[in-house]
Amino acid sequence: MSTNIGQAVNEFNQQVAAVSLWADAWRRLRKNRMALLGLWVVGAFAIITLAAPILPIYDYTSQEMTHINLPPSLKSAGSIAIQKVEKRIVELKGLVDGGREDLRPEMDKIRAELESVKADVAKNPKSSKVYLLGTDYLGRDMLARTIYGGRISMMVGIIGTITAVLIGIIIGAIAGYAGGRLDNFLMRIVDIIYGLPYMLIVIILMAMFHKDGASSIVILFVAIALVSWLTIARVVRGQIISLKNAEFIEAARSMGAGTGRIIFRHLIPNTLGVIIIFATLSLPSFIMSESFLSFLGLGVSAPAASWGTLVSEGVQGMELYPWRLLVPALAMTIFLFAMNFLGDGLRVALDPQSKNRT
Amino acid sequence: MTKFIIRRLLSLIPTMFVIVTLSFFLIRFAPGGPFSAEKKVPAQVLQNLMKKYHMDESLGRQYLRYFGEILRGDLGPSFRYKDMTVNALIKQSMPNSMLLGTLSLALAVALGIAVGIVSALKQNKWQDYTAMSLAVVGISVPLFVIGPLLQLVFAMQLKWLPTSGWITDRAGLKTLIMPVITLSFPYFAYIARMSRASILEVLRSDYVRTARAKGLKESTVIGKHVLKGALLPIVSYLGPAFSGIITGSIVVETIFLVPGVGKIFVQSALNRDYTLIMGEVIVYSLILIVMNFVVDIVYGFLDPRIAYK
Repeated sequence: MSTNIGQAVNEFNQQVAAVSLWADAWRRLRKNRMALLGLWVVGAFAIITLAAPILPIYDYTSQEMTHINLPPSLKSAGSIAIQKVEKRIVELKGLVDGGREDLRPEMDKIRAELESVKADVAKNPKSSKVYLLGTDYLGRDMLARTIYGGRISMMVGIIGTITAVLIGIIIGAIAGYAGGRLDNFLMRIVDIIYGLPYMLIVIILMAMFHKDGASSIVILFVAIALVSWLTIARVVRGQIISLKNAEFIEAARSMGAGTGRIIFRHLIPNTLGVIIIFATLSLPSFIMSESFLSFLGLGVSAPAASWGTLVSEGVQGMELYPWRLLVPALAMTIFLFAMNFLGDGLRVALDPQSKNRT
Repeated sequence: MTKFIIRRLLSLIPTMFVIVTLSFFLIRFAPGGPFSAEKKVPAQVLQNLMKKYHMDESLGRQYLRYFGEILRGDLGPSFRYKDMTVNALIKQSMPNSMLLGTLSLALAVALGIAVGIVSALKQNKWQDYTAMSLAVVGISVPLFVIGPLLQLVFAMQLKWLPTSGWITDRAGLKTLIMPVITLSFPYFAYIARMSRASILEVLRSDYVRTARAKGLKESTVIGKHVLKGALLPIVSYLGPAFSGIITGSIVVETIFLVPGVGKIFVQSALNRDYTLIMGEVIVYSLILIVMNFVVDIVYGFLDPRIAYK
C-alpha cells in the first residue's frame, strides 16, 4: 500500500495531483449546476441591494397619493390614468348604444373628465413616473421598496450570521480546547439556553424594547444574535475535541506555540469548512426569523421596510391588489431558494470525504 | 435505563428555573408598565391597582411570590383581560392550538415519510425529482408567504375554502385544512428530505444486502429492515420539529384567525400583559422540554446502539 508515500492518493491508492481543500471544493461546486445558479442569484441580489442608492429607482419613502395601488406596468402612471378613463368611456358608450339613454350625461361628463385628466398629466411631471412593479397603498414604488426591503433583510441575515459565528467559534473553541470543568460549565449553559423557546424570547425582547426607527433594528440584531450562536458553538467544540490530539497540533505545541496560536492558527482553520456550511445555511434562517417578527408587527418599523413587513402589508388587500403581496414574496422566495441551493452545494463540495472525487 | 431517565428528568429543573427567572426579570425591567398606556389614571387608582397586583412590593418579594404561585400551578391574574386568570385564558385557547399543532405534526410525519420512501426507492426518477422539488419549496418559502397565497388561491379566487376562522364557525372542519397544510409544509419538507437521505444510506448497508441475499421479499426488506434503521433520525428530529410548529403556529394563528395561544401571545406581548406573557412562555417551554425529554427516551428505546449508563 505504501508505494506512494508523500504523494496525494485516492482510496484506490492511485496517484492524484495534490490539490488544496479549497481548490477541490471549488471544482466540485462548479460542477453542481443548481449551486452555481444559486451563487449567481445571490450575487445578483447582493449587487442590486448594495448599489440601491445609485440605481435609477424612485425613493422608497416618497408617497404619491394620486398613484396609489397602481398595477405593475411598463407604461407611465399618467398614461395608465388616461387609459382607465378611456376604458370607462368605451364601456359607457357600449351601454348607451345598447339603449341606455339615461347614461348619456354620465358619458359626457367622463368625456369632459378625460380632457382634464389629459391636461393634468401633461402638466404634472410626476405622471411620467413608470412603476415597473406597481405601487403600494401609499403610492410608493414597489420596486424600490422591495430592493430596500431586501437590503434590511439581508443585513439582518449577514450581521446575525457574523455575530453567531464569532461568539460560537470563541465559546466552542475555548470549551473544546480547555476541556474539563470549564467545558462542562460552558456546555451546561449552552444546554440550558438551548432549552429556551428561542423565538418566544426574541418576541418578548422585541415587544419590550420595540420603538420606532433605527433602534428597533439594533434590538432585532441583538435579540437574534443572543440566541443564535449555540449550534455553531457545539459544532466547533466537537470539531476541536476531535482535532486537538492530532499529530499536527502536537507538533505545533512541541515547537512552542501558545494556546492562542494553536486555537486560532491551527484548530479553527481546520473547522472552517463546517463553519462556512453553517453560515450559508443559517443566513436564510435569520432572514426568515426577521421577516417572521416583522410580519407579526414586531420587527422593522415604518418607513423602513423589510421583506417581512412588505409581505405583511401586502396581505392586507391581496384580493384586489395581489402584486403588493406577490412582488416581495417572490423576491424573498427566490433569494431563499438560491441561498438554500448554494448552502447544499457547499456542504457537498466541502465534505472532506468526497475529496478528490467527482 | 431508569437511572438515565431520572437523571434526565432532574436536569429539566434548572432549565425551567432559568426560564422562569429570565422571563420574570426581562419583563420587569422593560420600559413601560402594564398601566402606563392610553388613559391616565388618577394617582390613587394607580396606587390601588399596584397594590392589588402586588406591584408596590420589592422586586425580590414579587419574584418569590410569583415563584411560589407557579409551584402551586397558579399563573396569576391577567393584567389586561379583566376578571380573567392566566390559567383560564390558556385553558381556553390551548386545546385549539394543540389540535392544530398535533394535526400538522402528524400530517408532516406521515406524508414526509411516505414521500421520502417513494423518492428513495425511485431515486433519480421523475417521482424523486418532483418530490424533492416540492421539498425545496417547503424549506425555502416562509410560512407567512404560503398561508396568504393559499388564502388568495383557494379562498378568494376558487372559493373552495373559507378564508379564515375555526371549527366552531359555520364552515366547520373545512377551516382546518389551510392552517394545517400551511403549518405542516416546512416540516413535511424536512422530514421527506431526511427520510430519503437516510433510507438511501441504509439501502447501501451490509445488513440490507444480507437480507436481500437471504431471498427475502423486497417489501419485507424495506418494511422490516430498511425502515427500522432509517427512521431513527426522524425520531430525533421530532423535538426540533415540535418546537418549530409551536412558534410557527403563532404566525399561522395570526393569518387564519385561529383562537389559539399563539394569537394571545402576540397580543399580550404588545400589551405588556406581564403575567400572561410569562404564563405562556412557561407553558410553551414546559411542553417543549417535556417533548424533547420524551423524544430522547423514545430514541433510547428504539436505537439498540445507545446504552445508558
